[in-house]
Amino acid sequence: MSKPRVAIFDFACCEGCQLQIVNLEAEIVDLLSIIEPVQWREGMSDHSDDYDIAIIEGSITRPEDEERIRKIREKAKILVALGACATIGGVNKLKNHGPLEDMQKTVYSKDFSLPHLATMQTKSVADVVKVDVYIHGCPIDKKEFTYIIRCLGAGKTPNIPDYPVCVECKKAGNICRYEYNEICLGPVIRAGCGAKCPSNGFWCFGCRGFVDDPNVNAARDVMEKYGKTMKDLEEKLMLFNT
Amino acid sequence: MGTKKVSQKDFEKWVEKLIGLQKVFGVQSKDDKYEFGALLKAENLRLDYDITILPPKKYFLPSTEQLFSFGESGFNSSVDGEPFILFGVHPYDFVAIRQLDVLFSMKNNDVYYQTRRNAATIIVCDVENISENAFSGFLGFDHVEKGFDLLVTKTGSDYLVESGSDKGKKLLSLMENAVDAQAADISKRSEKWKKNRELLKKQLLKANVNELPAALGKAYDHKIWNEKAEKCFSCGSCNLVCPTCYCFDVQDDFGWDLKSGERTRSWDGCMIENFATVAGDHNFRKNKSDRYRHRYYRKGKYVPEKIGEIACVGCGRCISACVARIANPVEIFNAVAEA
Repeated sequence: MSKPRVAIFDFACCEGCQLQIVNLEAEIVDLLSIIEPVQWREGMSDHSDDYDIAIIEGSITRPEDEERIRKIREKAKILVALGACATIGGVNKLKNHGPLEDMQKTVYSKDFSLPHLATMQTKSVADVVKVDVYIHGCPIDKKEFTYIIRCLGAGKTPNIPDYPVCVECKKAGNICRYEYNEICLGPVIRAGCGAKCPSNGFWCFGCRGFVDDPNVNAARDVMEKYGKTMKDLEEKLMLFNT
Repeated sequence: MGTKKVSQKDFEKWVEKLIGLQKVFGVQSKDDKYEFGALLKAENLRLDYDITILPPKKYFLPSTEQLFSFGESGFNSSVDGEPFILFGVHPYDFVAIRQLDVLFSMKNNDVYYQTRRNAATIIVCDVENISENAFSGFLGFDHVEKGFDLLVTKTGSDYLVESGSDKGKKLLSLMENAVDAQAADISKRSEKWKKNRELLKKQLLKANVNELPAALGKAYDHKIWNEKAEKCFSCGSCNLVCPTCYCFDVQDDFGWDLKSGERTRSWDGCMIENFATVAGDHNFRKNKSDRYRHRYYRKGKYVPEKIGEIACVGCGRCISACVARIANPVEIFNAVAEA
């Protein structure tokens, strides 16, 4: 069996998720034993547009991005969304919280209307094209990335959790962040990160997005119980726009 | 098998000796709470704890464990039988371990669980401080009189240590300056048990435990299942902190050759949305209320019908762990008993 040809593309993002792939260091050799990268701006200089798997990093923020991602989708047999910007829109969706022009002026000041700075409301990759595989997180987890790549290599469906972060947080033996009077997004956010933030003294920021069926009504109730408001909760959710 | 009395100082010296002898896991502080962890110094042992974040079940059924590794030539089992001492298990948690002993040897003997269990020496200790949601006093799980390897009780400035097995006896024989406990000492312990039975009743259980299986049997359509489940995050916290929950999920991961790999199991919970999802994406407990009801049926009916004992030991961890505040078994058991 020939190795699948893989292309990695970046859209609006910090490229930190690609960096996580580079950070695999010695394991990159293993990675190369099952895939053949044919296009990867951050990791190689060769370039080919003949690929089986497209890995997409970043969110869709300009009209030309939409066009580009549609073309990639046409070519790719499997399309993978890599990291929060691609899977849920991520921090780039912050600009969707006000009039576009205000956002442009804030960032570009008097130059905001120059044509090369044209922008639009941020979209996740799935807002534009069909996504086959999601690799969640900000940044992605290296172990989960390699696990998913191996699953794809073996023709197996990866097992991505559809349960809240609380599951992994409890397994880790952590004290619940609500006991510290913090709003933690853990009860509604998809696990798979190993509850990294709560295990290191922070609340869950929500970078992996909602579970498939988050109980938002229950979240409202909980805010009241802990002397918080829905506004407090919404502010916490805004960061990753889950 | 004999009860010894020893001073605080000699008790600590003995604990230090045990640490030199075997791997010891004991209760230690974690912020303002407590947890079981590798005990490196006797002074870190906190037998005055009220409750640990996770029950000691994790030493027999770890949150994630490798079952075996596999390759083209076959598989290698990953059974772990390294001897260890588990120090400071509260009676209610010990009852839970006894229940798991039965459940993991019924029909299919679980070799992973049993190997660890046989490798363990369990030192039970009587409760010194009462946790906020305890109700083991209503269930008769406030103290234990048999089954342990050793039982430690603090009486004034001394410790009483009773051995209940040969393993325990061997460890107890290492204790220096220990004297045989007298009738007066034993009665002090009985007094403590009596007191603890009353103190470990923070949540007011009114339901008759023996009638619970029947009461639950009649409560299948009770409105409480829906009322509570509406607020459920399906986060499984109640399952995961429970000393008697033992469900697990099994997954494979391949190595880079895509041929070899490992099979692991990790804790699962019946409140989690896809717990009952099977091949073909069919979920036979899709509704939150079905899952919610199932959990209490397990605790109060299904498992008791198997083992003859209520499968809730009254630790109250689920009550504290539930962010939505809907996981109080006492509330449920009282409601169905009244219906």
